[in-house]
Amino acid sequence: MKEVELDCMGEACPVPLIKAEKEMAKLDIGDVLIVQIDHSCAMKNVPEWARKEGHNVEIEEVDDGEWEVIIEKVK
Amino acid sequence: MKTLSAKIKKNPYYVMWFKDAWPYITGAVLLSVFQIATLASTGNPWGVSAVFANWGAWLYELVGGSVDKWYYFASEGAQATLERGFLQDPGTMRNLGIIAGALFATLAASGFKFKKIKSWRQVLAAVLGGLLMGYGARIGFGCNIGALFSGIASFSLSGWVYAVFLFLGAVVGSKLLVKFFM
Amino acid sequence: MSDSNEATSVPKTSRSRSRKPKKDQIPFAILTIVVIVVIGIILGRVNATLGLFWVFGNCFGFILQKTRFCFTASMRDPFLTGGTNVTKSVLAAFAITSIGFLAIKYGAFAKGLPIPGQSFVVPVSLATAIGAFMFGIGMVIAGGCASGTLMRVGEGFGMQILSLAFFVVGSLWGAHDMGWWQLNVILKGKAVFLPDLFGWMGALLVQMAIIVLLWIAADKWGKRKGADTTH
Repeated sequence: MKEVELDCMGEACPVPLIKAEKEMAKLDIGDVLIVQIDHSCAMKNVPEWARKEGHNVEIEEVDDGEWEVIIEKVK
Repeated sequence: MKTLSAKIKKNPYYVMWFKDAWPYITGAVLLSVFQIATLASTGNPWGVSAVFANWGAWLYELVGGSVDKWYYFASEGAQATLERGFLQDPGTMRNLGIIAGALFATLAASGFKFKKIKSWRQVLAAVLGGLLMGYGARIGFGCNIGALFSGIASFSLSGWVYAVFLFLGAVVGSKLLVKFFM
Repeated sequence: MSDSNEATSVPKTSRSRSRKPKKDQIPFAILTIVVIVVIGIILGRVNATLGLFWVFGNCFGFILQKTRFCFTASMRDPFLTGGTNVTKSVLAAFAITSIGFLAIKYGAFAKGLPIPGQSFVVPVSLATAIGAFMFGIGMVIAGGCASGTLMRVGEGFGMQILSLAFFVVGSLWGAHDMGWWQLNVILKGKAVFLPDLFGWMGALLVQMAIIVLLWIAADKWGKRKGADTTH
């Protein structure tokens, strides 16, 4: 069960989401993807997409304007 | 000040209204309310991009240019706006207000961070994208707010035509984005 | 949330990294709102309209930031990621605003007054299509439309400050060429106000029907799994 960090700091819409989707496809069930973002759009659309796909999602605010979206691949 | 901040941050209404993001549907309702209020109180629907042409004109005049012979600025209304200048232009104040309102919202949620441009790709995307939007909005009679949102809500066929081609452009833009700008 | 007995809990290994203490931005927020109000008062003193527009702008900016309402996403996501939540919300906004606008316009018409707010009832011509197409490409690659760009400038995105600068340049360029477009393209088109075609009630029904159908289509599209085309 590995943990992969995806640094999307400074990326414009909708790059964090696209990168997160590509990365998730490479992971196995049970792996965790940590998407590091500073874009408030991504703070909404990445969790939304992940939840729609059925994964477990947690959002943690790590600094002013910076978040980590922690996605556990469920299926 | 510190304990005041701490108290504010724990307040459930602060969290609900200022800290957390709001649902999209709330946005749809509120933006509609303010659009309708705009039409009712100012006589015109909301628009954003026409102001940018005026900003361009004022900047051009600053460096010695003149737009007075241009068709676009020939009308009485356009001339009057140019005469009044940047500081007395309502449209300008509305656009600057959007920036201020968004800034306040971000600070209130303790989410402000200056995001520097990361790569030359972003520079190219911003320059190209900005030029396309600026030019397209003029010849299309508006942007996503004026031509699309206000146009459709005004029951103009132009709004729907704009919507179709805006969508097609977005599809092409998405392909370009993934191919060249990611 | 420290219990690790849940089968679905996410491991917290990487979060023990040391973080810099968060700056408290609330004082800045308070300062900002005070400045906003003061500017509003000053502008209102010069001219009530200036103050009004400033207030509306701030309201729009605040709402856009909190809701992350993004017209760019509404057009881009169905194709790029298969998501249609924003699309559906934009359609809802069209519907609600249409009702309000129709009421105001009909109210004036019924009293024999000129119909207000017709500034965006403009000729439909090739320029509409080309302009919208250009704008569509631009907004996606720039990462924000007109309102979205202004919002992101307020949020501190350097890229959108650059985008705004060139939006202004492009606007001036477009204004410069408007004479040509008007003469050669736009004059060939005609403005169509839907109530002129279908009557007031008819126009409302037709427009609502289109919006509802589009909403259903977006809803169905969004429910497809694996709908995105990024890989």
